[in-house]
Amino acid sequence: MGRYIVKRLLYMAAVFLLLTFLLFCLYQLMPANRAYTDAKAELQQLKNTLSPEERETKMQELLLKYQRLYGTDTDDVMILYLRWWGVYPFYDGKVNGILQGNFGKSYEYNLPVVELIGPFIRNTMIIGAISEIAILGVTIPLGIKCAVKKGSRFDKGTQLVSLIGFSTPNFIIYILFIVLFCSILHWFPVSGMKTPGTSYTGWANVWDVLKHVALPCICLVFASLASITRIARASMIDALSLDCIRTARAKGLTEKVVVYSHAWRNALVPMVAIIVGGFFGIISGGIIMETMFGFKGMGLLFYNSVRQADYDLIMFLEVVYTFIALFSNLVIDLCYGIVDPRVRISK
Amino acid sequence: MKKESVFHKIGRWFMRWFMGPKYEEKMREKEAKEASGQPDDSELIVSPGRQIFQRFLERKFAVFSVFLVLFMFLLVFIIPKTKLMGKYFDAYTEVTQKDMPPTLTLMSVPKELKNNIKQIDSYGSFSVGLSKDGKVYIWGATKMGATGLDVSHIPEEIQNTKIAYIAAGVDHVVVITEDGRLLGWGNNRFAQYAVTDAILENPNLIPVPEEIRDGGIDVSHVKKLAAGYQASALLMDDGTLHVWGNKQTYANLDKFVSRTGMQDVDFTLNYVVALDKKQSSIVTGVKNLYNTVRTEIGGEGKKITQFLNKRKIVSLTATSSSICILLDDGTMGLVGDFPKDVVNVPEFAEGEYVIDVEAGTYHFTCLTNHGHVYSFGGDHYRQAEAPTELSGVSKVFAGAFQNYVIDENGNLLDTWGLKSHVFGTDESGADILQRVIAGGAVTMTVGAIAVIIEILIGVSLGLISGYFGGWVDIVIMRVAEVFGSIPLIPFMLIMSSLLSQVNLSTSERLFMIMVILGILGWPGFARITRAQILVARESEYVTAAQAMGVKEGRIAFKHILPNIISVILVNMTLSFAASMQTETTLSFLGFGVNYPQPSWGNMLSRASNATAAINFPWQWIFTSAILVLTTVCINTIGDTLRDVMDPKSTNDK
Repeated sequence: MGRYIVKRLLYMAAVFLLLTFLLFCLYQLMPANRAYTDAKAELQQLKNTLSPEERETKMQELLLKYQRLYGTDTDDVMILYLRWWGVYPFYDGKVNGILQGNFGKSYEYNLPVVELIGPFIRNTMIIGAISEIAILGVTIPLGIKCAVKKGSRFDKGTQLVSLIGFSTPNFIIYILFIVLFCSILHWFPVSGMKTPGTSYTGWANVWDVLKHVALPCICLVFASLASITRIARASMIDALSLDCIRTARAKGLTEKVVVYSHAWRNALVPMVAIIVGGFFGIISGGIIMETMFGFKGMGLLFYNSVRQADYDLIMFLEVVYTFIALFSNLVIDLCYGIVDPRVRISK
Repeated sequence: MKKESVFHKIGRWFMRWFMGPKYEEKMREKEAKEASGQPDDSELIVSPGRQIFQRFLERKFAVFSVFLVLFMFLLVFIIPKTKLMGKYFDAYTEVTQKDMPPTLTLMSVPKELKNNIKQIDSYGSFSVGLSKDGKVYIWGATKMGATGLDVSHIPEEIQNTKIAYIAAGVDHVVVITEDGRLLGWGNNRFAQYAVTDAILENPNLIPVPEEIRDGGIDVSHVKKLAAGYQASALLMDDGTLHVWGNKQTYANLDKFVSRTGMQDVDFTLNYVVALDKKQSSIVTGVKNLYNTVRTEIGGEGKKITQFLNKRKIVSLTATSSSICILLDDGTMGLVGDFPKDVVNVPEFAEGEYVIDVEAGTYHFTCLTNHGHVYSFGGDHYRQAEAPTELSGVSKVFAGAFQNYVIDENGNLLDTWGLKSHVFGTDESGADILQRVIAGGAVTMTVGAIAVIIEILIGVSLGLISGYFGGWVDIVIMRVAEVFGSIPLIPFMLIMSSLLSQVNLSTSERLFMIMVILGILGWPGFARITRAQILVARESEYVTAAQAMGVKEGRIAFKHILPNIISVILVNMTLSFAASMQTETTLSFLGFGVNYPQPSWGNMLSRASNATAAINFPWQWIFTSAILVLTTVCINTIGDTLRDVMDPKSTNDK
């Protein structure tokens, strides 16, 4: 087990390096030239007594200074990438990259990325956790019930609804819910994390935040209901047709035990990827929800940074997303081993 | 005989097409035997393909979905090639038609009015008509956007009074009663017809002139009542001109306040244009505006004095961007700009000259001394395609995009032009139905090509990987894993913002989106193909082929691939719907297909604003309904295919 994890971690690190390198190359294609912008800004602050030639040389000087400061005084992508990681020294001989804790700086917020991102990740995690629990709490019993009563009217109705839900792009579900709950019923506020211009404390604050978080949560739950119910139903049907189930029934076990103990254990195997992946997926999949509700999470931050061309922030968030994706793959594989006794991952 | 259901019938047709009459005969025999209670001892031997097809036909909803998807394909790919789309182009905008709810009655003259028409006028989304006995009628889209204003509520005062003249603006109507009062209804925020204290205080507005404020208009001397975007004008036959309304929409409006000696007046979208006593130029109060005349659209421009050559302008009439002047010898001259989609000025017969010209929003309709009617100018909604056989015409009226011709008794002879906006219009005034059709073509093309790219890469790599195994398998599967773990939406956001830095044409951008979607989506196909191959590789027919000395590559592509094609087909269907969803999501966020090119996603982006979504429900309901319907049908087909192809599910139904 331990060796397997180490092996997987090493492999994950390799893929991670490869992906970040690819992303970094893409990032280099972006037309941002921070050194040039800053040099230009500093030049503008200087007194206007310089002759054009002097200005030109001064500009070159400043440009070089900033390029050296930001480590962009070379065109070699490899060197730039290594500097970004903090393993290749800058012009002044120091190393200053991710390994030293420097993830870059958001120019829009004028803050180091690491300091900025905390509350955003927290918000996304909270809403992700709440809705994931709700999703699993609804979909799995629903899927089991449909599979057990396969072909019944209940099953057919659920099938139809989940087919429609599955085929509807999430943003349409969000639009429908916003129109229904905010504009027609006025149950929830449309956007934000708290009522603007208020400073509640204690329970009033909690209530206010809850009211704002409720609708995004409901939307997220509804958006994923359909697909997960479909998968839960399908894997449960497969599990129920296994030979061991016939044996269990032949033994005279009660239907409850057969379904929830024998079949469910088997159905869980294909579900693991969905359950674990779903949780990590919400972190990166919340972009649409967060932009529509103005919910201050990672998705909105990412969307805004792309809009505002805040490149360091984009790069950092993209790295976080990639890391989460790879990490969830690892967790899924490990979970397979726990859930399915046939999978021996130590091999 | 029992009545057949429609599905049954269609199913039977299909059966005959694909299986031949012999099969149908056999089936009928079988049924007859079953009906007569005899045991059915004849076993029909059907190939797996036929069996799958047969079982597919049993699913009515799936058959229905196939037809619906086919219908959608026809709709989005064939309709634009036919005449039904009008002269659609992506970047079309029209300010006077924006945010119009679904309306079918844009050209429906009320029954009571049909036989005694005196006048019809229209500027924006609705038309007003005046009957010979002085009654006012209104039709078209009368609800004005989010303001809740409904111009179909004609004030009782106006309903009960005999009206002499009417004129329609974009959201207001002004009338002159027989007893000389100026009245109106609709929007009055910009001093369109009534005077309030707020209007008098506002320096940007010109209130209704005092002389005509409380009656006192000599109706017999009224020459023209005209209404523009948010302004109106009244011209008397002694040449006195009164204008009032919003100065901000008509920059030269205040130059016309209490002018005298005018011969004619009209409104383009941004300027008041008039004709003065000299009748030798178009008076705008702005230098060098509207001083080049053409005899035909796209023809060579001449300076107006040169063109006139001592002839005089008799009247002028204006569309949104152009003016048609009529000279005293019956010649027409065109001033200003025309849109791209135009019908050119007709060729007149010898001795035929124009006696009357009316202007819509982009087109002109003219009546000649021979009684012929011609339309020319903007033809976006086929409003400039006048019927050729019309006789007894005494007067033509041009609505915004409509035309009405009446005979001398006021009977409506014919109408042509824009009848309806079935799905309403969007915020730039374009017809949503047309954009749904054009957008469907974009969305479906993106979805289809992305899936094709996915399949090409995924299936061939999966085949190679599964068949050859070893280190090839390891490398390919690791690469697939790398591509599979790229988070889709964040990555697409970055890619499309990168794409927008590069100066790409619309079609290149579209192509790039397809390619990126395809490149990110192939690992799924590769994995499925590989898994299938691993099973197929062990089967007897492969061993047989190997024993016969067939080459490896040939076995993989010629022997194994056809056997796993069904699984690929199912996944292709489901992926097609998924790619369509991804494209719409991206376009909705503003990172996919960009305006003005329509896609089902970017047409919905306005609905992300809750206020807009509730105020203009037709702008997202129809589009999203069609999108959902299409994806539901495609997914149904995929699901059903999977069901009927799965040999395990044969017996349990």
